[in-house]
Amino acid sequence: MSYQPAGTGTPTAVPVSLNDSENRLFSLDVLRGLAILGILVISIWEFGGFSLNEQTRLRLLHKGLDYSLFGHIIIFFEGKMKALFALVFGTGMMLYLTRPNQFTLPQTHEYYIRRQLWLMAFGIIAAFAILWPGDILFHLGVMGILLFPFARMSRKGLLIAALICTVIYCGKMFWNYADDKKALRKYSVSKKLEEKFKKDSTERHRKDSMAGMPVDSIKVRDSIGKKNDTLTRQQKEDKEKWEGITKRVKYDSTKASEKAEKEAMRSGYGKVWNHLLRRSQEKESVWFYKTGFWEFGSLIFLGMALFGFGYFNSSFSKNKYLLFGITGIVIGFLLGWWRLELVHDKIPDYEKYIKGHAIPPNQFFPIENIVMTFGYVSLVLWLIRINILKWLWKGLNAVGRMAFTNYFIQIIFCTCFFYGYGFGYFGRLSQREMYFLVIEIWLVQTVFSVLWLRFYHYGPVEWLWRWLIYAKRFPNKKKTV
Amino acid sequence: METIALNNPAPVAQADRVKTIDMIRGFALLGILLMNIPGFGINWDAWYNILKGPHNTKDYYTMTIIGSFFDGTMRGLFSMLFGAGMILFTQNKKELPDGPSVAEFYYRRLLWLVVFGMFNAYILLWFGDILYYYGFCGMVLFVFRKSNVKWLFALAFVCMLVTMFKNQQRWNEPRGQRIAYREAIQARKDSAKLTPEQQGAISSWEKMQSRNAQGPDTFFMNRNERTMRSNYATIFTYWVPKNTDSETNGLYHGWFWDGLTMMFLGMALYGLGFFSNRLSTSTYVMWLLIGYGVGIPIGYLAFQQGPVLQIADFNAYADRFRMTPDLIYDVRRGLISVGHACLLILIYRSKIVPWLMRALANVGQMAFTNYLMQSIICTWFFYGYGFGFYNKWQFHQLYYFVFGVWIFQLIVSSIWLKYFRFGPFEWLWRSLTYWKRQPMKR
Repeated sequence: MSYQPAGTGTPTAVPVSLNDSENRLFSLDVLRGLAILGILVISIWEFGGFSLNEQTRLRLLHKGLDYSLFGHIIIFFEGKMKALFALVFGTGMMLYLTRPNQFTLPQTHEYYIRRQLWLMAFGIIAAFAILWPGDILFHLGVMGILLFPFARMSRKGLLIAALICTVIYCGKMFWNYADDKKALRKYSVSKKLEEKFKKDSTERHRKDSMAGMPVDSIKVRDSIGKKNDTLTRQQKEDKEKWEGITKRVKYDSTKASEKAEKEAMRSGYGKVWNHLLRRSQEKESVWFYKTGFWEFGSLIFLGMALFGFGYFNSSFSKNKYLLFGITGIVIGFLLGWWRLELVHDKIPDYEKYIKGHAIPPNQFFPIENIVMTFGYVSLVLWLIRINILKWLWKGLNAVGRMAFTNYFIQIIFCTCFFYGYGFGYFGRLSQREMYFLVIEIWLVQTVFSVLWLRFYHYGPVEWLWRWLIYAKRFPNKKKTV
Repeated sequence: METIALNNPAPVAQADRVKTIDMIRGFALLGILLMNIPGFGINWDAWYNILKGPHNTKDYYTMTIIGSFFDGTMRGLFSMLFGAGMILFTQNKKELPDGPSVAEFYYRRLLWLVVFGMFNAYILLWFGDILYYYGFCGMVLFVFRKSNVKWLFALAFVCMLVTMFKNQQRWNEPRGQRIAYREAIQARKDSAKLTPEQQGAISSWEKMQSRNAQGPDTFFMNRNERTMRSNYATIFTYWVPKNTDSETNGLYHGWFWDGLTMMFLGMALYGLGFFSNRLSTSTYVMWLLIGYGVGIPIGYLAFQQGPVLQIADFNAYADRFRMTPDLIYDVRRGLISVGHACLLILIYRSKIVPWLMRALANVGQMAFTNYLMQSIICTWFFYGYGFGFYNKWQFHQLYYFVFGVWIFQLIVSSIWLKYFRFGPFEWLWRSLTYWKRQPMKR
């Protein structure tokens, strides 16, 4: 399907109702619902204070059921649900820009841009008012604007763009690792020098005392020796740089940083706000620039391309979906497994890891991510098509149609449940308890979405969003029922 | 102001309207080099050394003028015209029945601007690049292109408040340390037993004080100078983390708001017909007097009470200001920028130096080329892989060089535009935006 201008002519006023339910793709909403629920599997780590850093993985290493649960989640969920959300976002973006509606093309584009800007605004609220540093709405809003000029690209071009983003993302992993390697090399040089200095000075001392020199002159000689025997600023800097890197990775038996984190997160709103401010800002600036752009970019491009191929309209044969699904998931699983193995090597001793490995554990994470997500998409499309589990798809569809609302419900509930100004469960739940909670949230959200959509056209936040975009209140209540 | 506009209702020809805008843009573009040249040509410790004194040197006088009269104003004016230019771009283009919409061209154009900005920063190695963040600001402006003037002023004000808030937040930390220190000292005087926190407050402030007294770290300063005089690869790797920092933290915490404030202001002023020469002479005179008359004294005071006092006596500075003097930054530069524009339009109207105004308009018409050209000329002149004059000149001597670049750009732009329709980089930018080779020759 190529890009079709949505009709031109004299500008029309915003119509009374913009009920686009006929234009929605059922399967797309199912996937969106799946993504929004799935995201919680990973974000609960951060909400609940479960994974403060990689230490958790070390502590869980080889410990029966807990570890096996954790390992599976890392392989099957980490990054994939966010990726699925981004992919669906890319498809939705094309759907918005190309579906027939009452607007002229320029009007559609104007509303599209407003839509993205409001999305960014909602993201800022999520991050700085609801205090969710893991927010992705802001990023998706920005991506929607940045990738808007690519909407006219051919589907092949979009696929290539997705590939390029993935390759660059892999490259970044490698360069970061190379930086760490370089830091270690410089550290070793400084460290050796320091040891030599220490030896020299002990040696000197021994000689001096053997020669029976008076104490005063020993002191003088010592100070001269010391002057020549100190690291230069540059060498000191080199040494500290690596020490900083290992500090992040190393297992801290005193758990000092963990304690501090828990204390901060279990306090009042103001304190938590202050504590998370830098993290949220960092996520929206540095992380976005270095990682997020490529991570989201590759998946959004893929979503745009798949839209072009009519992938969500069942334009391929049934068997192809199954084939793509299984292939994607198997490859993703193998890559994920390998990554996990490498993580095991890395956490106990990063120095040793660097000496023994040419690549970092997450070297192929971007590929694992995109391939597995594609596999999920294909498998779900296949399952919908062979017409089983209908009730499940209906439920997920409802969740997906209210994805925006459900996202906000999730973060409001979780922040209130875990942070200190709410119930303060931060860092108090075990992994199993946490996932029990996740399943509860899933059930509640699904039931709520299905019920809500029986009476209303849109979820409350979706409705608000549309009000803001079109500067017009739409009636939301359904007449029949 | 509206009533005055009505007194002068004759519509101004499109060509004429664009001309004054180009002229002011050309002026701002040349002016930007005044602020950028120290970044290109001199080690940062120059600022510290000159501000510290003695205060009767040519360097200090130059710095006073630059710091109180020009600082931020040329960038401000340039941003204002960027906002105005956005409206011009979207107004001048007609929506075609088929083919891309204006919005699509607009966003393509900005995406390329971001790319050019990265090119300027990472490849031409100019760490003070503004194109990158102009691109991002522009992406926000689009939806406000039809907003009325009052809204635009309000938006400019809101963006300014964000900058103020961030500046104050940044200032609260040292200020808080100072207060804690003074309380601890008072407690010691009252011969009370000091808590560990109070002892910490004293020692951390004293540490900061001694750091301030020492001035810039010679280790870093020497390394900076050595690096800037070395080859391309070394400078490139040296700047990568710094460029990344300014394109992330810099954009997010500062430049974005810095740009938007002035861009919204520029859009509002454009809506009033300010840049397009549509107001009466008396209005321009009035705003010249207000802009300079209020802006310059504030600028001078802010310079004396700001950087000068900070270096002369940081304790006094920290004691004196509960609110950082930086809060006034945007107000001051907004006023002075408006003053600059009024002055130029008045000169234009008086027809004293029409040739100069024409030349400025030419520079403005090729603003994009000239901006990148400044990076190319200056990096090649000062950096090690070119002539390597980095940190070899005194501060005031840099401005002879600026003067030379100005003359060069005024002449070259005028000659170039005799034969070609666009500057070379404008041509490239256009061709990339429309994804088609554009005709260049006249």
